[in-house]
Amino acid sequence: MYPNRIFRAVTATALGLLLGACAPSDPYAQTSQALTDEVLLPAYADWAEANRRMAASSIAFCADNEELADAREAFLQAQLAWAGLQPLLIGPMGEGNRAWQVQFWPDKKNLVGRQIGSLLKRKPQLTQADLESGSVVLQGLSAYEYVLYDKAVDLTDSATKARYCPLLQAIGEHQQKLSADMLQTWKAKDGMAAQLSEFPNERYAESAEAIADLLRVQVTALDGLKKKLGAPLGRQSKGFPQPFQAEAWRSDATLPSIDAALAGAQQLWLGTDGNGLKALVPTEQADLTKRIDVAYETARQHLVDIMLPFSELIADEAGRARLDALYQDIDALHRLHQTELARALGVQIGFNAHDGD
Amino acid sequence: MKRRAFLGLGSALVAASAVGGWALTHHTEQPLLLSARNDADGRHYAVGYRLDGSPVFATPVKERCHDVYAHPHLPLAVFVGRRPSRESYLIDSRDGTLLQVLTSPPDRHFYGHGVFHSSGDWFYTTENDTAEAGRGVLGVYRVEGRQLIRSGERSTHGIGPHQLLWMPDGETLVIANGGIRTEADSREMMNLHAMEPSLVLLHRDGTLISKEQLPEQMNSVRHLAVAADGTVVSGQQYEGDPMDPVPLLAIKRPGQAFQAFPLGEAQRQTMNQYTASLAINDSLRLLAVTAPRGNKVFIWDLDTAALREEIHLPDCAGVGAVEQGFVVSSGQGRCRLVDCTGKAFVSTPLQLPPGLWDNHLRLV
Repeated sequence: MYPNRIFRAVTATALGLLLGACAPSDPYAQTSQALTDEVLLPAYADWAEANRRMAASSIAFCADNEELADAREAFLQAQLAWAGLQPLLIGPMGEGNRAWQVQFWPDKKNLVGRQIGSLLKRKPQLTQADLESGSVVLQGLSAYEYVLYDKAVDLTDSATKARYCPLLQAIGEHQQKLSADMLQTWKAKDGMAAQLSEFPNERYAESAEAIADLLRVQVTALDGLKKKLGAPLGRQSKGFPQPFQAEAWRSDATLPSIDAALAGAQQLWLGTDGNGLKALVPTEQADLTKRIDVAYETARQHLVDIMLPFSELIADEAGRARLDALYQDIDALHRLHQTELARALGVQIGFNAHDGD
Repeated sequence: MKRRAFLGLGSALVAASAVGGWALTHHTEQPLLLSARNDADGRHYAVGYRLDGSPVFATPVKERCHDVYAHPHLPLAVFVGRRPSRESYLIDSRDGTLLQVLTSPPDRHFYGHGVFHSSGDWFYTTENDTAEAGRGVLGVYRVEGRQLIRSGERSTHGIGPHQLLWMPDGETLVIANGGIRTEADSREMMNLHAMEPSLVLLHRDGTLISKEQLPEQMNSVRHLAVAADGTVVSGQQYEGDPMDPVPLLAIKRPGQAFQAFPLGEAQRQTMNQYTASLAINDSLRLLAVTAPRGNKVFIWDLDTAALREEIHLPDCAGVGAVEQGFVVSSGQGRCRLVDCTGKAFVSTPLQLPPGLWDNHLRLV
């Protein structure tokens, strides 16, 4: 019985491929292309723009032409653009641990704080080259946030500001360059955008592989969100809350970052006009479509309702209960994508990557 | 960025470089690919496909299998149960008939790997002595007709043994002792802070020839490839901090110590502290490794350690050498043939069913 079923599936797939190659409309290719043009490319462009502004802000702030509040606002925009990109980290930015250059999380041992101290002691006249050749921990937003927000750094004191400013500007420059390079890589001839739009290519043998890759990074990001919320809630530490393991805790951008990431994942699901992954769910599974729609709306509405900053919520039991409810929302979303949506789209997720053998 | 040639889905003709094996007498046919595979509902199969995509068999099995090893001159293959399975499966590789459910003795379970001796009379597996949890055991089975009969066991001189392969003399086994202690019916790691990974050379009579360790105590030595000149390469899985810069490949060249393979930092980071399968193409002197957490297949020159190719293949799994290069499978996408004979390597998707391929493949 089973062998026949497998072989029939093979034939059907092969047939589908032949049809796919000839027919003008391959829904998987259409969705992949639409998401690339309308969701992915704009998100990478937004991220690059936010970093361009942050780099400019670091220069202006250090020249005393900008207030700290404005510098912080520029940082927050870059942080949220990066958070929103998490479910879209397909291709080069999601590979080779490049993401560590942007954000170092979880920072269980306060490496950011400690390494900044020792770097500035070693290199008081820090240059761009010093930053580029040094630890990735200090090249990104986590270190930038430390300088702008940590209590140990009093930027109203001009000597302190002068001490930290070379680092701030070097990070701004590094982030600007990295995000501009990535956008360029996406847009290049035979770059990611092309590879997600025309099949076959050297990366994807067929459009189904591109959709599988898109869903894979989305599922990874939802799982990552669970970790980013679960770690400070103490889910990996026997229930003891660990507030300093929250993402962007110094700027208290924890919940806005989670919302931005959820918004990115939701965009991948919806597309701009219902042309996202949602469009590929077979019509007879309208119930699944509805449940995923509702799961996104529920989680994001909870975030709107919470209204309090993360640092306050994590500090007491009632607040933690609300964060825990949010965790359950994200967990539900993660499961819906990893199992039911994956199955509906014919995608197998992480079979060997999670094998451990 | 380096550009490589790419061919669309085609009927690539492939020749297996595997020496020996009954299939060589049927040389008009495409090589037979053997692997464990799941279906979309999570049921487990032992499968055989010709590389042109034609199905030979898909036999349902109770336990998920890991590696498979073909008999040197009979149409038999053992699909070895994945840790902590107590079953492995002897299969007729012509039609998939399940000839025997091989059950481990009480207080033993399989680790997913096994090998036939070149005489065809013996089969060896790595096993866990669960009465003394983690103690590595080499199970010895005698081939009688179309059955395997357990005849004894030896020590692997380590904890949590995983893959084992033959050295070129055909009498010496190289064994990757992963170093991780697990208990019966469990995959939970019990000794992360007291791991003892090692690479052991063992005569099949049980005589220990050498035992070597890497400096990093949490760097589990798991998978192996052996070249015709006796060069051994191992792939590691690191259980420590994700940031630790740990060598995930190691090499033991003939007459030399077991040591880190010079791995580029970008590749090392891409691997995400995890390697899956290894294969060596002897005529081209190339090493291929799958890194499913990095979604990349890497190919190096075995002698110079220069990186030759990096292929994006999500959830890449098994890899095996063929005449032109390598065949790679994936849990998620299509299997690929990587032709390494030209200056630019050419990657071609194969017409095998996509996805759900388990960790290892063998070509006969």
